[in-house]
Amino acid sequence: MEAKLIKKAALGDIVKKIAGQKPVYAPVKEGSKVHFKFLAKGESPFLAYANSVNAPKNLFFPQTETLMHYTKTARGNELVEESETFSEMVLFGVRPCDVRSFKLLDMVFDQKQYSDPYYVEKRERTTIIALACRQPPFSTCFCTSVGGHPAQADGADILISELDDDYLVEFLSPKGEKLIKLFGDLRAADEAALNRKKELSDEAVAAIKSHIPATEIKTWLDSNFEHPFWDSIHQGCLACGTCSYLCPTCHCFDIRDEAQGDDGIRLRTWDSCMYSIYSQETSGHNPRPGQKQRWRQRLMHKFKYFVDNYDAISCVGCGRCVMSCPVNTDIRKIVNDIAKLN
Amino acid sequence: MNSIEEKIREEAKRLLDEKKVDVVIGYETGTLPLQTAPCFITSSDEVDKLVWNPCCKQNLAIYVHSALTQHRESQKRVKPEDKKAKIVAVVARGCTSRSLVIHLQEKQYNREDLVIIGVPCQGYIDKNKLEAKVDGLEVITGSIDGDAIKVETSKGKTELSLIEVTADNCLECRFCNPVIHDFMAGEAIPVYESDDEFAVVDEFAALPEADRWDYFSAEMNKCMRCYACRNICPSCYCKVCFVEQSQPEWVGAGVNPSDNQVFQIMRMFHMAGRCVDCGSCVEVCAEGVDLRKFLKKLDKDDLDLYEHRAGAELDKEAPLSTFRENDAESFIFEPK
Ligand code: SF4
Ligand code: SF4
Ligand code: SF4
Ligand code: SF4
Ligand code: SF4
Repeated sequence: MEAKLIKKAALGDIVKKIAGQKPVYAPVKEGSKVHFKFLAKGESPFLAYANSVNAPKNLFFPQTETLMHYTKTARGNELVEESETFSEMVLFGVRPCDVRSFKLLDMVFDQKQYSDPYYVEKRERTTIIALACRQPPFSTCFCTSVGGHPAQADGADILISELDDDYLVEFLSPKGEKLIKLFGDLRAADEAALNRKKELSDEAVAAIKSHIPATEIKTWLDSNFEHPFWDSIHQGCLACGTCSYLCPTCHCFDIRDEAQGDDGIRLRTWDSCMYSIYSQETSGHNPRPGQKQRWRQRLMHKFKYFVDNYDAISCVGCGRCVMSCPVNTDIRKIVNDIAKLN
Repeated sequence: MNSIEEKIREEAKRLLDEKKVDVVIGYETGTLPLQTAPCFITSSDEVDKLVWNPCCKQNLAIYVHSALTQHRESQKRVKPEDKKAKIVAVVARGCTSRSLVIHLQEKQYNREDLVIIGVPCQGYIDKNKLEAKVDGLEVITGSIDGDAIKVETSKGKTELSLIEVTADNCLECRFCNPVIHDFMAGEAIPVYESDDEFAVVDEFAALPEADRWDYFSAEMNKCMRCYACRNICPSCYCKVCFVEQSQPEWVGAGVNPSDNQVFQIMRMFHMAGRCVDCGSCVEVCAEGVDLRKFLKKLDKDDLDLYEHRAGAELDKEAPLSTFRENDAESFIFEPK
């Protein structure tokens, strides 16, 4: 691993330079909202961002993705694989919580037995450049409660941490090191810089205001699938799925065919357990008939089922669902309330 | 606590104690600054949760509709002698009461199923306007003090006037006072003096067609098809929405310009004479899509062509459910 220093002002141009060579997916500000997008020619990323509205998972697991094309012919159906190939890409400016989301998504999409080629290919061809949080960007951030850290980014290829006049750039993987040349003149990081990083990182941890008993509620969840508590959280919920769509770890999808005449495409689109048709069966029966059962699923999946299956909580504490829920359903409050029942 | 809030709580307590209603739907303080959440009070011990302030945003009529519909469904297989009634009370300002009127006109439930706690309303804080004022920064703390809002962001503290962040639909609202109610939690108030309620539509209509199309396409491209706008809308209560139908499939599931536009155009056209301009669809949207400009055009046409305002009068027929031989049809034959 190499640790280098660059002047703060230089970073924007470095990213611009990288973007001249490969597609760069980075935070961009439009109006008062920040989204991850591919940088247009000559466009700089927005560096002063807190975090984006959408999660960077969109790059590997887009909301709408064509899986294949088909044509009905006299000889039967002809299938054509989606021929889009991905060049090497760079994902720039990922916050540590969102970097963690990729580890969780890998557990689902990149298993020994089942591997999702669409996700894996994009993931493998992408170099992830993380930007540590010098301060937690939102008062709703709770990464440290769910196994994360505001200044560490295990799983990133390059980690950039803001110091005082400089950025500390750590090349964490061979993929990351390949980009070294594009960073231009780099000074080696000295002891003082590394110490300063440690100091700021401790400050960032201390500045996290939101804490939830995320692991503690597991035992309660294990034995309380039926409990009056579940009647108390869902009434205001609009079943809009905004929480799942913006969540960096939600990964449910639907597959459907869209045909025109003899030609069709097979599409994969995001789905959400908050929707009534998510669990609707062809017979008309719905095993999760109401929003009560759907909210229980959302919470159970994140804090119990995923833990049972992969030994990790499926929430990275980014707070997107908290901030964007139109009726202020707050997953932190729900977890805290469950802990009180324990 | 303001006096409206006090009266809402007293009335809610009385209704619950006297077993006049099963649930009171209102607003409670949220977990984030300047936010409230819908709340559902079933016991009079909890009435102190109810609040009334400019952070009360959503039109609550959709919750009335779902509570009563779900109850009706649940009673379907119950023996006649065991059937239970359910009565819902709701905190309703002008726009909410108009949505309730639409439900009643469309025979969704009966007037006896409903107790309306009316509130005079001076409008709510528009999250998009507030977000623009603080340049997208997080509001860390916020409080309302008379006509001023004090907010704190990572850049420090500022004071804004309430009026500069009040939603446009509220600034132009002619229905600050409920059109029907069983109880009023406060005196009726005068409406804002808006020069021209439809200026937003006329200004847009005056733009060249290409500019209008660009604006519309750009707004639709922001949409992530979560359907929060549809789900909060009291007039969007269909058991199965066209969006979810698969045979035939009216609109593709993919997020792309044409399917996004088809979804929004089809939804909006259902709103002719049924949109009360409560602004809820805009308020719930996480991507800040401007739906209002287009919905307001329908509102204007409803008034200009049919002398009708959505949900304003219980016994006035609505254009979508009435046919008259001399109905205006110029928009079909001479579209502009
Ligand atoms: S964002 Fe909020 S309202 Fe929408 S589905 Fe999630 S919890 Fe429900
Ligand atoms: S559940 Fe909410 S806080 Fe947790 S990762 Fe998802 S969006 Fe972020
Ligand atoms: S089941 Fe729900 S909570 Fe779990 S990944 Fe799917 S959408 Fe997210
Ligand atoms: S539209 Fe009118 S009644 Fe509705 S919230 Fe705004 S001011 Fe109040
Ligand atoms: S709420 Fe916004 S993002 Fe969601 S479907 Fe409606 S317009 Fe689109």
